[in-house]
Amino acid sequence: MGLKKYIVKRVIYMIVLIWAIITVNFLIFSMLPGNPLERYVASLRRIDEIRYNELKAHFGLDKPLHEQYIVSLRNMLTFNFGISFNSGTQVSETIFSRKMPNTLLLLGLESILSIIVGMLLGVLVAYKRGGILDTGTVTFSLTMYSVPIFFIGWLVIFFFAVNLGWFPAGGTVPLEWGRYPPTNFLQIIIGRLSYIALPTLTLFLFSFGGWVLLTRACVLETITEDYVVTARAKGLKERTVLYKHVLKNASLPLITNVALSFAFVVSGATITETLFSYDGIGLLTFSAIMNNDLPVLYALFYVLALCVVAANFIADLLYGVIDPRIRYG
Amino acid sequence: MATRKERLTFTFKRFRGFLKQFGRNRLGTLGVFIVVFFVCLAIMAPLLTSYDPIRPSVGMDEYPALTGGRKIAESLCVPAWYKSIPWIPKGRFSIEERFYSILEVYYGKEWQIFGREGQVNATDTSLRLTQRVASIANITATAPDSTARTLDPTEWEQTPSRLNEIVVKDFFPNGTTYAVEYFTGTDITENMELASDPTFASEAALNAWTNQTNRPDIVAVQYNSEKGYVTKLSKESGCIEISFDPHGATIENVEVTLSVPFQYPYYQPPKSFLVHYAAMFEASSPGATLTILFSKETQTGPEEYILVRKELLPSNIYDLVPTTSTQKEVIDNVGVNPATNKIFAAPGQYAFSIRISFQNLNQTAKVYLDNLNSVLYGNAFGLLGTDNAEPYPRDLFSSLVYGARVSLFIGIVSALLSTAIGLFLGLASGYIGGIFDEGIMRFADLLLVLPTLPLFIVLIMALRQFGAVSMWNIIIIITFFGWMSFARSVRSMVLSLRERSFIEAARAAGAGKLHIISRHILPNVFSLVYVTLATAVPGAIVLEASLSFLGLGDPRIASWGKTLFDFESSGIAVTKGLTDYWFWMFPACICIAFLAAAFILIGYSLDEILNPKLRERV
Repeated sequence: MGLKKYIVKRVIYMIVLIWAIITVNFLIFSMLPGNPLERYVASLRRIDEIRYNELKAHFGLDKPLHEQYIVSLRNMLTFNFGISFNSGTQVSETIFSRKMPNTLLLLGLESILSIIVGMLLGVLVAYKRGGILDTGTVTFSLTMYSVPIFFIGWLVIFFFAVNLGWFPAGGTVPLEWGRYPPTNFLQIIIGRLSYIALPTLTLFLFSFGGWVLLTRACVLETITEDYVVTARAKGLKERTVLYKHVLKNASLPLITNVALSFAFVVSGATITETLFSYDGIGLLTFSAIMNNDLPVLYALFYVLALCVVAANFIADLLYGVIDPRIRYG
Repeated sequence: MATRKERLTFTFKRFRGFLKQFGRNRLGTLGVFIVVFFVCLAIMAPLLTSYDPIRPSVGMDEYPALTGGRKIAESLCVPAWYKSIPWIPKGRFSIEERFYSILEVYYGKEWQIFGREGQVNATDTSLRLTQRVASIANITATAPDSTARTLDPTEWEQTPSRLNEIVVKDFFPNGTTYAVEYFTGTDITENMELASDPTFASEAALNAWTNQTNRPDIVAVQYNSEKGYVTKLSKESGCIEISFDPHGATIENVEVTLSVPFQYPYYQPPKSFLVHYAAMFEASSPGATLTILFSKETQTGPEEYILVRKELLPSNIYDLVPTTSTQKEVIDNVGVNPATNKIFAAPGQYAFSIRISFQNLNQTAKVYLDNLNSVLYGNAFGLLGTDNAEPYPRDLFSSLVYGARVSLFIGIVSALLSTAIGLFLGLASGYIGGIFDEGIMRFADLLLVLPTLPLFIVLIMALRQFGAVSMWNIIIIITFFGWMSFARSVRSMVLSLRERSFIEAARAAGAGKLHIISRHILPNVFSLVYVTLATAVPGAIVLEASLSFLGLGDPRIASWGKTLFDFESSGIAVTKGLTDYWFWMFPACICIAFLAAAFILIGYSLDEILNPKLRERV
């Protein structure tokens, strides 16, 4: 199977997934016994007649179910999510131009940090298996893995914001930026970094344990292979063996995990953003829950699932490029 | 063929061997201990705490006017054991605060404005202290030419309605600084029950209460065993009867006071007062007043703080009145002896009294009193304090204990269910293969791709539209999205097992599909089941906590996540900081973390024992 064929196969798979996500979304909101969406929209009638009509038309609620499904497919594919009942704004605009960039920044920073630190530590620990560092790191990682993220978040707030006062405890940008927008580029970077530091640290502590454990397992799997023995027998330096021969081969399953971990981190980000009132998708989710804002949630799940699918797709492509077995297998 | 007994012995031996091996694994044993601890906690919850975790109250039947009983404590109480911690401030403190003054002419009249030293603007017309004054303030005024003198007590007074405000009556030169030295008390106060019904309306109780009257010839206090207020608790309890007989004459003011002395041991006043009583007035015309008050003997005579003052109207049915009030409200309402404001400022001997006064009555009348209850609510309660739920603050310890039930139940049940489903589907799709296998695996892939928490949020929000969020629904949702990865690994194991020669031999011997799966494949897969079970539980526990934390849990059950949601949505973390109210959030977090970690440790050590691949490496 050539690379091209592989990519085509992946693209088709992605399209099927997107269709499936839209269908799942539709199933949940319109097909669940009790019909949540219809019930929700009907409950708005007494509050605001105009918005009620707008939402009703948007979801095609006066049409039969199969046409509603078509409407839903079209809406989702064109990113037309209607209006949020509570704020009256366009949902797609809120998500894409205001919330998404903040969340992507947070997730990007966090992913880079945790992957690099997690992998390096994982290799080191696997190499010195059974030592104090190994036991310590594994225990710490397991602990971090089991500690709920809001606890990590509160501890981070407590130590770094309240006790030490190094970083602000919540918010996205300094409050005074609302009145005096910053002009200096350096000022923008410092301002944003100081506010993003603690949420990033929280997410980092939450997810890097998983990376350590996974890298450790993968490296342990390859470190006993014959070619590693050969490499050592050739007289290569231990570090070269470790990072060139072992990590390179061990990193294949890690790459798929980047994509899978994205879904995991998205869940963590919802809670982290709520804790730090960081103005991203997660906080939007929380406020939508609090305000019972169904149109926003309808869109949010779709957008987040899309992100995960996209991450999966990219990981698959990378996998195809790196792993020769897929090209020639 | 082995006999049944031999097989049993073998199984027993193997199990013992496994236990031995597990016992050698320290982390695994630790995990088991933690889980056992929480299971005990969950089972013994009703024994460990007597309060309801959602809407706790006391004495449903003792308080007929408070349907559902009274609250167990004030909101945001600190743990009661704070009182034995040395570094938490308790007792009497001397405080000194400094002010400076500016004289201003306002509408042709001179005003003295006070500011706090170190600040720029003077804003107050009186000295506003940061603490309430418990006892004598000592004010020293230092004029700009640095002549200092101590003010005479007649030159200043405390503002009647405030406990922390001092008005200086005389004018001093512009720029005078004042140093105010005063005592204040802070303490950990606990709930005190001054009177409770079963002990109030009885003959024995009547002896404990002293009654004073200005006309003993006209009023009489006695126990009446028939006219009591009928509660669910006691069908016909007695009551206290106060009979008034003026013998035809009109007498201006007759008072009778029933009082019980009590020692108030704290330096801090109670957070609030609760008074509840039932009273009936049998007469032909109105003219009786009921007053409930605290009093304290001082050198200048008794000081009285009135909680309730109510005109009684002639009637044949009991009048039920519950009153709760705070310290400030009591002082605002009193109007008696306003200059002192020192209600419960320091430990001392107080009296709790109920007073009936008859005015201008010339006929016989009777007052029946029953169900008298009075509680002083302190600022400390229980093992872990209380939260801010109104009107019934919850005991955080009982929330924690009952939360263990929810977490363990949801965690274990959904792990069991999802592992069972995963095992079944994995076995089926691995052994049957073909289109069934393909369908199941593609479906699993789809579910694996979906981001879990957002999906759960959406599902629960959809269920919430028609109020269908319950514990079982959450279990079903967690189960439905938790079987995939296990099904996958079972399937791949089955696929490799299927080609082994012992299966082929079984098939050649004429074994059916079901027999092969149950007798030959299942035992080989089962070691995986234990490990998956142990690692699926913490996932479910943390997931449930996260959902509850986001406000998506079942509001009728007390889970740890719900406690954390209450904490987060109260805004305490932002307004007061985590350190002051750590007991609200910290224990639940620790419990979730420990329970989850315990299961992970068990799973990890099971994996080490049962997984031959890992065993070889050791």
